[in-house]
Amino acid sequence: MNILEIQQVKKYFGGIKAVESFSLNVGEGEIVGLIGPNGAGKSTLFNCVAGVFPPTSGDILFLGEKINGQKPWDLCHKGLARTFQIVKPFASRTVLYNVVVGAFATTDKRSEAETRALEVLRHLRMEEKKDLRAGNLTIADRKRLEIAKALATQPKLLLLDEVMAGLRPTEVDEMVAIIKHLREYGMTIFVIEHIMRAIMALSDRIAVLHFGTKIAEGTPQEIARDERVIKAYLGEDYGAA
Amino acid sequence: MNPSLYRKLLLIIAALIALGLPLVVTSATYLHILILLFLYAYLTTSWNLVGGFAGVLPLGHATFVGIGAYTSTILSLQYGISPWIGMLVGAVLSSIVGVIIGLPTFKMRGAYFALATIAFAEGIRVMFENIDYLGPFQINGPRGLQIPPLKTGLAHFMFADKEPYYYIILAMLAGVLALTWVISRSKLGYYLVAGGEEPEAAQSLGVNVARAKLMAMAMSSFLTAFAGTFWAQFTLYIHPKSVMSLDISFEIAFIALIGGRGSIAGPVLGAMLLRPVSDFSRIYFGSTLPGLHLIIFGVVLILVMLFQPRGLQEPLTRAYRRVMNGRFGGKEAAA
Amino acid sequence: MLFILEDTINGILMGSIYGLAALGLTLIFGVLKVINFAHGSLLMVGMYVAYWAVILTGMHPYLVLVIVVPIMFVFGYLLQDILIKPIFKAEKDVREPITVIIVTTGVWYILDNLSLLVFGPQYRNIQGNPLQGKMLEFGDMMISVPKLWGFCAAIITAALVYLFLQKTRMGRAVRATSLDREAASLQGINQYKIYNVTFGIGTAVAGVAGAALVPFFNIFPSVGVLFDIKCFIIVVLGGLGSIGGALLGGMIVGVIESVGPQFMTATWTEAIVYGLFLVFLFLKPSGLFGVKYDW
Repeated sequence: MNILEIQQVKKYFGGIKAVESFSLNVGEGEIVGLIGPNGAGKSTLFNCVAGVFPPTSGDILFLGEKINGQKPWDLCHKGLARTFQIVKPFASRTVLYNVVVGAFATTDKRSEAETRALEVLRHLRMEEKKDLRAGNLTIADRKRLEIAKALATQPKLLLLDEVMAGLRPTEVDEMVAIIKHLREYGMTIFVIEHIMRAIMALSDRIAVLHFGTKIAEGTPQEIARDERVIKAYLGEDYGAA
Repeated sequence: MNPSLYRKLLLIIAALIALGLPLVVTSATYLHILILLFLYAYLTTSWNLVGGFAGVLPLGHATFVGIGAYTSTILSLQYGISPWIGMLVGAVLSSIVGVIIGLPTFKMRGAYFALATIAFAEGIRVMFENIDYLGPFQINGPRGLQIPPLKTGLAHFMFADKEPYYYIILAMLAGVLALTWVISRSKLGYYLVAGGEEPEAAQSLGVNVARAKLMAMAMSSFLTAFAGTFWAQFTLYIHPKSVMSLDISFEIAFIALIGGRGSIAGPVLGAMLLRPVSDFSRIYFGSTLPGLHLIIFGVVLILVMLFQPRGLQEPLTRAYRRVMNGRFGGKEAAA
Repeated sequence: MLFILEDTINGILMGSIYGLAALGLTLIFGVLKVINFAHGSLLMVGMYVAYWAVILTGMHPYLVLVIVVPIMFVFGYLLQDILIKPIFKAEKDVREPITVIIVTTGVWYILDNLSLLVFGPQYRNIQGNPLQGKMLEFGDMMISVPKLWGFCAAIITAALVYLFLQKTRMGRAVRATSLDREAASLQGINQYKIYNVTFGIGTAVAGVAGAALVPFFNIFPSVGVLFDIKCFIIVVLGGLGSIGGALLGGMIVGVIESVGPQFMTATWTEAIVYGLFLVFLFLKPSGLFGVKYDW
């Protein structure tokens, strides 16, 4: 079954057509990438899926259920988690506290939530940082924390919104390894990314968005050779990080 | 001896001191001051559930004090119902009003929320000042209601001496502090903090921020009403300006802010620092320099906001942690 | 029927003075995005300054504006510079720092009680001032002369502020900062200086309102509290940041207060004003003319 089905979704903001009739299926256990020049509408699409605002038309199905316009917190309980492009940690609290908030999504007891949070931190190799104040973390650690928070909610589908932005090349490689590792835990991942070599390395399939429309879809190799994609990214070469 | 045992020992010592104070303090005036101190500590701690944990700035909390006071007083004067039962009824009513106020206002941004709470509180107070009867219940407008001290005893929540009142408010304060501590470590507590700091991030993690805030408001207004009943039974005379005024709302908020909202010790600390200032300046300077304590409040508030916006508990907590780390080594877990 | 017309007119006149009082507040909010809880106290200070100016110099209550306006401007400027600017600097990313609200509330407490201490609680007014108690006969109606003067002062001041914002360089800088302070600062506008100037102007306008009130309104330390809440209500009704809105909002409140007592008690009238306030807060927080912020 497809975990996520986006069916001809349109999102208009008044006169601005942010997303124009976009369709995409994400199957279980896949890592699907979404790329496109700045302003193409990627984050808008994510926000539609994540329940920030409903699509103007079209349907979004999650686990076979139509989720148009449902609220983010309800979607989280159904197994849909997301990260934010501009990271929003609970800055005044510790790393552990931050992740526990996410862990509470599936339990009411603090001890259980803490255990789960520590587990997540261990997987992301952040355990030693658990007592640090979230606001004092480096940008790389904050991005990792962002993933940890989302992971703690035990999602079936994880939406990652440009988690590599601002990272150094070595940090990018680390992050790619971590995300690939997540798939082994049965997670389906939908990624927006700008950093080409990261998304090429990660994704099973990639969809390309340009001015709100899907101009290509296929394996990373197919996309890299696609003329329309190259034209859209005029000047941007594969391999730049 | 490990850190948590040390902390428990400190708490026990503090409790013993608090319990034993009336034996040492015999002057009725000082006992009265202590009672009011604990009362405000109770009020600010209750306020803290919304104003501290939920991260908003409610400036109309006195309205819940008033609802509690009037409910229990009317029930006991007109229907002979025990003030303890009246206290509970008042708390439930207060809770409902709190949720009604919260529903539309929590969606607003900070300043508008503060204004709306003021408007609600003043609106309700103006209403109370203008009606003599609310249906079958006698309100008596600005003249207020007097409670004749006819029957004394625990059942009637009426005592000739001050000591019983002292112990009751002490018990209430201990209760609300314990409750705050439990909540801060519970799912609701985590959700409130998350929703207060980064509402969008919290929502994507499964937090229904609006619902969490409403729960906090319901609890806070419920508890605040208890204080209203206590006040009524303690002072034996209530009128809108004495139990519902904006001054009370602001004092509660100021004390919490100066002590440090969002923390457990902050509101109590604030009360311990500011109430004596208020009472003593009124006693010694009341006639010569009226309003001096309010000037001091204002100055302290501004200084704290400029230099220690997280409240005065911040430097104290840091010092405490340093001492703990020094003694026991390693990191003291964040309280 | 005639009474209602007379009440309405007097209500409009009084309301315009309310609007004048609220004008400073709406300006400060529109630009600094800060609700100045001390505004009523600033009005009170303005009233006392005008009062003492008249008593000490014997000048006409409106002539003392030459003294009152500069003093109030400087006062507001310094207040913003010393107390509020540090918070803005510390909370640079927060679009709407709540801490400022708390600080201005502190200022309110300090000013009100300081004036209680210094001037005493007694009600003052200027006996025998040239405008006191004068009425203008308009057919069968009696129109209050000091309120008429106040109305003129309100219109003129509003016009001057409007011209300042539209035509002068500094005024345009103020408008730019209110729309987007980051963009404005990138254009070379020192946002903190703009804030100081705006606060100064807002306070000076409060001073004009104070001078307008002095001929017929009692002066006492907590007079500001009366106006504080009223000003907030007016500012929300009329729309934060709108000059015309402030005047119109003021007139609406003035008319309700004036005509209302014909049909119900004065304090129920007060309740209606609160009710209207809440309705606007919930349904149309941007008020009648305000700019739509993303509340």
